[in-house]
Amino acid sequence: MADPAIDLQSVRKTYGGGVHALRDAALRVERGEIFGLLGPNGAGKSTLVKVLLTVVRATQVNGTLLGRPIGQKAPLARVGYLPEHHRLPPYLTARQAVEFSGALSGVPRKDRRQRADGLLDRVGLSNWKDRRVSTFSKGMRQRAGLAAALVNDPELVFLDEPTDGVDPVGRKEIRDLLVGLRSEGRTVFLNSHLLSEAEQVCDRVAILLQGRVVREGRLIDLQREGSRQELVVRWYGPAQPLPGCEDAGAVDADASTRRYTLATLDAAAAQPALDAARRAGAVVISLTPVREGLESLFMKAVTDPVTGRALPPGAIA
Amino acid sequence: MQLTAMLVDTYRELSSRRLFWLSLALSALVVLSFALVGINEEGVQILAWTLDIPFLNTRTIEAGEFYKLTFYGLGVRFWLGWLACLLALVSSAGLFPEMVAGGTVETLLARPVSRWRLYLFKFLGGLLFTALQVTVFCVASFLVIGIRGNAWEPGIFVAVPMVTVMYSYLFSVCALLGAWTRSGIAALLLTVLFWGFLFMLNVSEQMVNSFRLARLEEFAAIDRTMEKRRQKDPQADVSDLQAERDAGQEGWRKLDTAHRILLVAKTALPKTDETTALVQRWIVDAANLGAVAEETEESETPARRKGRGSFGTTRARESDVRKAIDQDMESRGVGWIVGTSLLFEALVLGLGCRHFARRDF
Repeated sequence: MADPAIDLQSVRKTYGGGVHALRDAALRVERGEIFGLLGPNGAGKSTLVKVLLTVVRATQVNGTLLGRPIGQKAPLARVGYLPEHHRLPPYLTARQAVEFSGALSGVPRKDRRQRADGLLDRVGLSNWKDRRVSTFSKGMRQRAGLAAALVNDPELVFLDEPTDGVDPVGRKEIRDLLVGLRSEGRTVFLNSHLLSEAEQVCDRVAILLQGRVVREGRLIDLQREGSRQELVVRWYGPAQPLPGCEDAGAVDADASTRRYTLATLDAAAAQPALDAARRAGAVVISLTPVREGLESLFMKAVTDPVTGRALPPGAIA
Repeated sequence: MQLTAMLVDTYRELSSRRLFWLSLALSALVVLSFALVGINEEGVQILAWTLDIPFLNTRTIEAGEFYKLTFYGLGVRFWLGWLACLLALVSSAGLFPEMVAGGTVETLLARPVSRWRLYLFKFLGGLLFTALQVTVFCVASFLVIGIRGNAWEPGIFVAVPMVTVMYSYLFSVCALLGAWTRSGIAALLLTVLFWGFLFMLNVSEQMVNSFRLARLEEFAAIDRTMEKRRQKDPQADVSDLQAERDAGQEGWRKLDTAHRILLVAKTALPKTDETTALVQRWIVDAANLGAVAEETEESETPARRKGRGSFGTTRARESDVRKAIDQDMESRGVGWIVGTSLLFEALVLGLGCRHFARRDF
């Protein structure tokens, strides 16, 4: 198995005043996947990305980025980065900004112009290449920033809120671009609080809260954990649970509405409950698979199970 | 590759500002005004008008030498040494605050370039502004001196490195303050204050030193007078002169102590004025204007030669005092003037790099 793109075993970052931005956070990003780092504002998402990219110095960090210890500069030549609220130099044209970005990453001069042209076409700025960035709308700047992040032909791309300020059409194009990057074999690290977008493109996600990764895994697996089937029956007997249904796998029963919940998406596993219902003389109205949405997963992760209130995103000593 | 990219980017950043072009236009204006001034047998000529100046005409100084001195006095000392540097500071004070601004600094730091390199590359880019301005000014001045004064003097190009080096002392401070405060205005104001402090320190040191040296000349003059009296009459009473000498000793000691303190402070700090003054020293050497200066001194009238007490002297000749001061100034080598200033600059740059390298953004 190939080395992971990111193997973060542990990272701590404590700012002055005892603010713990990251508390032994750990995660792993495989090559060629789109990984989403999710979390409420202030949870430490941007700090974690900045630590990986040497923008912020960790109090303590163990792990590798593209096979090299985190904190080293050399692997950053193979990394692209679009920070949140990034500012391209307003005095440069889009082409110059992308070429400047390439030069800083060590892209040879002859390749820079060619790549800048291709990338600006790819992000939909073909007619704006020689216009100054200062004349661009927010969405156009975001597109130009994406081109600048990709000019060094990166193996790993960090995108911090890439659709921020982009209209719905642009968002769709950016999502398509991310999928395209994955199909080219690149790894995409998406930092976002837009769950619906992450849900559409991410292969794996991690949820960060109070500087710790509280959930991590393949999106499909995480969704499966909370997924269920809802069985609705019609029965004219007394308002009491149907005999045998709980034994047949129903984890939750609402006798008044005749609604039973089965903690599995497997249709075969639902058959005993159906049989039990029929044996009890009930008519099966529906058996509906219900997948757990990312938003639901996220809310569960960031909510105190005792009080039912959202946990504070950050941590202070 | 990254250095070139940073230099080009900084040039683009600076040239996108109106002040850059305003500064160049003002440089052109200074050279133009320089070209409009000439010298003839009667005096100084401005366009078609001649100002009769008996001690400044082609009989006292050659046209080429006049232009070189004007180039130094007006062009280097006044324009490049003060106004152009101030404009350059105003223009480039925002370079570092903008580099460390949120949204910009992240894209720079997440690169395979060390932070200290980024800091130094940006610093060098900022120096381009002054180097370019001074080069343009010197090329234009070279042509004016050549065409108007018929003296093709490549020596004036020494102003390019010297003025750039002088500016680099101040810009290193401006860069540190800019990266630290993240405010272009704060960096500019504090740098100008620092520059003003250096100016005051330099003036104070030179004043105290002049009085100190004048007092030594005074002692020498008293000694000579005593010697003359003794030669005439070995039993001559010189107690009045001795008393005068002794009375001056205490004042000299205080001046000497004050001067030592000021000189130590000056040694540790950049010497902006003296760095630009090196241009004069080299241009005067190159143009052999030392001879002109000697002639001027010899042409002193007896009244001028006699001590007039510019520095509180009553017996020492004014010319002797000035000569002693000039010799003392010239004894300060390039190593001390530029070397110690560059040491200060290196220290400030080191502090800036350290701050930039250790800070979280």
